Amino acid sequence: MPDWEEEIRRRLVRLRLAPTREAEIIEELAQHLDDRYEESLRGGATEDEARQVVLLELTESDLLARDLCRVECPVWQEPATPEARRSTNMLGDFWQDLHYGLRMLAKNPGFTIVAVVALALGIGANSAIFSVVNTVLLRPLPYKDPDRLMMVWEDDAKGGFPRDTPAAANYIDWRDQNQVFEGMAAIANESFNMTGAGEPERIDGRRVSANLFSLLGVEPLMGRAFTPEEDQPGSNRVVIMSHGLWQLRFGSETKIIGSSLTLNGESFAVVGVMPPHFQFPSRDDELWVPIAFSSQEATNRGRHYLQVIARTKPGVTVEQAQAEMNTIAARLQQQYPDSNTELGATVTPLHEHVVGDIKPALLVLWGAVGFVLLVACANVANLLLARAAVRQKEIAVRVALGASRPRLIRQFLTESMLLAVLGGIVGLLLSLWGVNLLKAFIPENISQAQAVAIDGRALSFTILVSLLTGLVFGLAPATQTSNFNLNETLKEGGRDSATGSRGHRIRGLLVITEVAVSLVLLIGAGLLINSFLRLLNVDPGFRADKLLTMRVVLPELKYPDQTRRTAFYTELVSRIETLPGVQSAAVTNWIPLVLQGDSQGISIEGRPDPGPGKNPIVVTRVVSPHYFNTMGIQLLRGRQFGEQDRVDAPRVVVVSQEMARRFWSGEDPLGKRIKTGGVNSPSPWMEIVGVAKDVRQVKLDADPKPQMYVPYAQPVFFQPSHLVVRTDVEPRSLAASVRRTVWGIDKDQPVSNISTMEDVLSESLARQRFSMLLLGIFAAVALVLAAVGIYGVMSYSVAQRTHEIGIRMALGAQASDVLKLAIGGGLKLVTIGIVIGLVAAYVLTRVMSSLLFGVTATDPLTFIGVSVSLVIVALMACFVPARRATKVDPLIALRYE
Amino acid sequence: MSYIGSHIFDRELKKGSAELLILSLVEDQPRHGYDIGNLIEQRSEGALKFNVASLYPLLYRLEKRGWIQGRWVEKAGQRRRRYYRLTAEGKKILAAQRSSWREFVEAVNRITGIEHA
Repeated sequence: MPDWEEEIRRRLVRLRLAPTREAEIIEELAQHLDDRYEESLRGGATEDEARQVVLLELTESDLLARDLCRVECPVWQEPATPEARRSTNMLGDFWQDLHYGLRMLAKNPGFTIVAVVALALGIGANSAIFSVVNTVLLRPLPYKDPDRLMMVWEDDAKGGFPRDTPAAANYIDWRDQNQVFEGMAAIANESFNMTGAGEPERIDGRRVSANLFSLLGVEPLMGRAFTPEEDQPGSNRVVIMSHGLWQLRFGSETKIIGSSLTLNGESFAVVGVMPPHFQFPSRDDELWVPIAFSSQEATNRGRHYLQVIARTKPGVTVEQAQAEMNTIAARLQQQYPDSNTELGATVTPLHEHVVGDIKPALLVLWGAVGFVLLVACANVANLLLARAAVRQKEIAVRVALGASRPRLIRQFLTESMLLAVLGGIVGLLLSLWGVNLLKAFIPENISQAQAVAIDGRALSFTILVSLLTGLVFGLAPATQTSNFNLNETLKEGGRDSATGSRGHRIRGLLVITEVAVSLVLLIGAGLLINSFLRLLNVDPGFRADKLLTMRVVLPELKYPDQTRRTAFYTELVSRIETLPGVQSAAVTNWIPLVLQGDSQGISIEGRPDPGPGKNPIVVTRVVSPHYFNTMGIQLLRGRQFGEQDRVDAPRVVVVSQEMARRFWSGEDPLGKRIKTGGVNSPSPWMEIVGVAKDVRQVKLDADPKPQMYVPYAQPVFFQPSHLVVRTDVEPRSLAASVRRTVWGIDKDQPVSNISTMEDVLSESLARQRFSMLLLGIFAAVALVLAAVGIYGVMSYSVAQRTHEIGIRMALGAQASDVLKLAIGGGLKLVTIGIVIGLVAAYVLTRVMSSLLFGVTATDPLTFIGVSVSLVIVALMACFVPARRATKVDPLIALRYE
Repeated sequence: MSYIGSHIFDRELKKGSAELLILSLVEDQPRHGYDIGNLIEQRSEGALKFNVASLYPLLYRLEKRGWIQGRWVEKAGQRRRRYYRLTAEGKKILAAQRSSWREFVEAVNRITGIEHA
């Protein structure tokens, strides 16, 4: 008999098996071949023929080695397979998977639509919010080396203004004495009455240092920037205009350079037009003129009205700049104790100043959309799991036919990626629409808000998020299904389709995640809504309904003294009060909620002087006689101003409740006297004749500050500029006739910022409304997704337990027992989710405490209320499938067996 | 099915069904490899045929999974042979695979209409 052992050994040698194992295999295989040989001989074959038959058994010796190796080799290595073929296979597999995946998705349109919509909501919200975050927070400001641009403030923390606008003399000292800045520029508010062509128009602009544009590194589109010579009083009648104004008012006329404009009654030569999108410091600014400090201005340390921007020298850090400014401020304190005592200087990066307010809100929203996406992922993973359960048979057959595990995982991942990409595409379309919607909600004072768009970065972010999403929600079902034990699957498969306890666990975990994450979002939204409602309930101190407001700023050239200004406003108010539909009218320097400023230090008669710079600061409003009536501000004590409070009459003042409380606690403020400035200042004593209810002058969410009202007819420091009209009718309907009345007195007098007080109030809440609405929407989306998820899992679980329920009912269980059983299972998951969610919310809501008003970040009522609502929604999601369970007919259910 | 020549059988199909075949054959009594190969050939009337290269790796795989167990048995006057018997685990698998296979075949038949043709 031939020696087969050698033949076999030759074929196995490269497998490098353990010697004993190799010997065993050789022995067993050789025996087989011996048997075959003998059988052939018995069948009448010659020895040679028999030998041929046996060798045939070994023809596929490559296969033998490979298959043996799969079983016996410690680590699987595919012997002698050329690399090229493998990669072709992988590509081929990929196309096959893709094709197959598309077919599966097309076959289940319901599943596909639900999954794609869930993902699109998550991805779309993410890319929309990211595009805002990207534009507002991440993208560098559109200036040269924006990192080196700083804002420099006066630090009057003791007076309640840690970031105050500096006085001109202080700015000039800072500019001249520092070694850390390459340049420093000052900016002052200015608005211009533009007359000459067409209706007079009020245009916002700024007085700026000549070097501002070169400091920012922005060149005018046409013409030139200011020269240092133009930054001197007398030679400063030059103006640069914005691209928008040039287009709208001057029809993009190129000959505009060198022509002249009449601003506040004076002629200015146009020297430049800025490029489109240039907006500095705010987007309302349309005209810039040289600041050209007069000699009085340049030495004044008492009027704080400048914004100062500076560019650090290369390599100078914010800290170094701050240290230098501290030194200078300390020196100025010693030099000018009267004005500069306790006055510091603060350096903040320009970027921080620009994004400051909205940053926490945006970061919270960014986190929130991440959570929404997480819920969407959990939902789709759930759907995939449920579907995988249905596809168990298909998978079983594929495994039985030799599909390997990695191959199955690849197939599943391809399908989930496909879903993610579809979700990403739809999400991108959603976000294009969402970004436009967001723009409408972004508070107007956020610069660059209008530049928000889906750019390359936002697009890459979306693609990345989509792919990551596909991986996250695809991985769990993929490993779960491919990990299945053919044995266990087929065993359980005897009864309907099932996925075993592992599948249950994963689905349970997903429901818990969804509930927990939704709860965090809902609590966040609940806190914001709660805050917002409290803000709406804050008593602003005035009646905002039926109140028309507008700006009427008199140019100094035409109305150089107070007599003329008072005459104009007196005439205006009396004419307006005769208009039909008008109850009363008044003027003031600032209406509430639009400006933080126009404050003065005061001294109280009979009290010791606190020393220079330490006088209490009060908000000052200059008002005409009917102001309190018109605004609906309640007068608590004394009287309001009347016609008798003229320039030659004794000086009078009305103080606010807060001011009375702070300075005359336990005393009667009426009859007491105060003056502006120090006790020894030349300003006259003013007698307190009334106490008015507090008005929120600055913000609804800031406590009222002490404030005083002075009659506009007596010598005042601040000029009236706003008109308020109380009406019997819809206020806006009177706008045109009020404007005509203004022009009836002075045809060149512009009227601007026409608005109702209700709109002003609502605008002041824009930032809060923005955060509340968005977080509310995201939480609602998460809630719906979670409810759908819970519903899906419960339906699935009920369907699976039909048999068990049938037995229970056959044994006498009532519908209510079954209902309890079915709901109980869901409720357990929901409860675990809520407990985890509460803990997470307790930790996470702290990040949003700066966005809250009147509630703490861990407000127990919100926490409990939201949890209860979520439980109710979850119960409803459980109830429908549970009810279906009670309808199970035991006979039919048992026939499943 | 007998009219289908063995050469037509898809290798994957054969591999998928082979486990079931082997498990079935060792269900009643332990058998050695040569015996198993022969029985498959005989009972399928030559339609299914395993050679050394395809049969033994499969046996070893089933053994590794714990579905069958091999043991060297020496009988008087004969060389020792390795006999394979079904384990308890293997029994469950066999039952499951049988029902799965039955369903599969029925499903295929329902689609292709072979039974009713």
